[in-house]
Amino acid sequence: MTADLSRLLNALALIALDTVLVLAFVDQLWFRDLPCPLCILQRAGFFAAGFGIALNLFFGPKPSHYGIAILGAIAGGIISMRQILLHIVPGTGSYGNAIFGMHLYTWAFIAFALMIVGCAVMLLDDRQFSRAEPISMRLKVLPLTALLMFLVLAVTNVASTVALCGAGFCPDSPKDYMLFETATN
Amino acid sequence: MMSLPFLFFACALGAAWLRHRGVAMGFWVVGLVVMLVLFRVHVTEVLNIGL
Repeated sequence: MTADLSRLLNALALIALDTVLVLAFVDQLWFRDLPCPLCILQRAGFFAAGFGIALNLFFGPKPSHYGIAILGAIAGGIISMRQILLHIVPGTGSYGNAIFGMHLYTWAFIAFALMIVGCAVMLLDDRQFSRAEPISMRLKVLPLTALLMFLVLAVTNVASTVALCGAGFCPDSPKDYMLFETATN
Repeated sequence: MMSLPFLFFACALGAAWLRHRGVAMGFWVVGLVVMLVLFRVHVTEVLNIGL
């Protein structure tokens, strides 16, 4: 695999991750499905994992960048597994809307697992790490779009979480945006 | 408080954009540690499962 192909695959992976984070916002804003603390931490897990992919786009593919993505995905996967286990016993309820029969935390766990598998598969090919050829110009638009979206989503999540939880910890089952409640009271 | 991991990851991305790889990695490590500490704080209920 050439460094160019690796860059293209990393850009596509980051766009897929951006899409997941956008869909989480659609669920929050359109369907008013406010995220719980563990849901927020799973979103943070996507940023922790996605940062490794972003480093591959900024500095070229390196094993350490894949390591960062795997560590972030493991951390996010542990958090989503914790939430799955909270509701795994029948009759213990669930949190939020189900999409195609599974809740968002279950989808998040699948996404984290796929990221780990994807990084492991990418690590199998050493040729991407020997940068013999220059980075082609046509691959510049896609990585830039993916990176810009990722940065905008990170900043948007800062604002969204401050609006939802204020400066402290989030309630277990948020009913409204804490910042706006404080402003109106 | 809960927004801190996002803030650190956004700073990490900003530093990477400015080609400061070491600083970016530093922000990422801090963001990950804060995220795990917040996770520990929110793990309060005992799981109702027999393993």
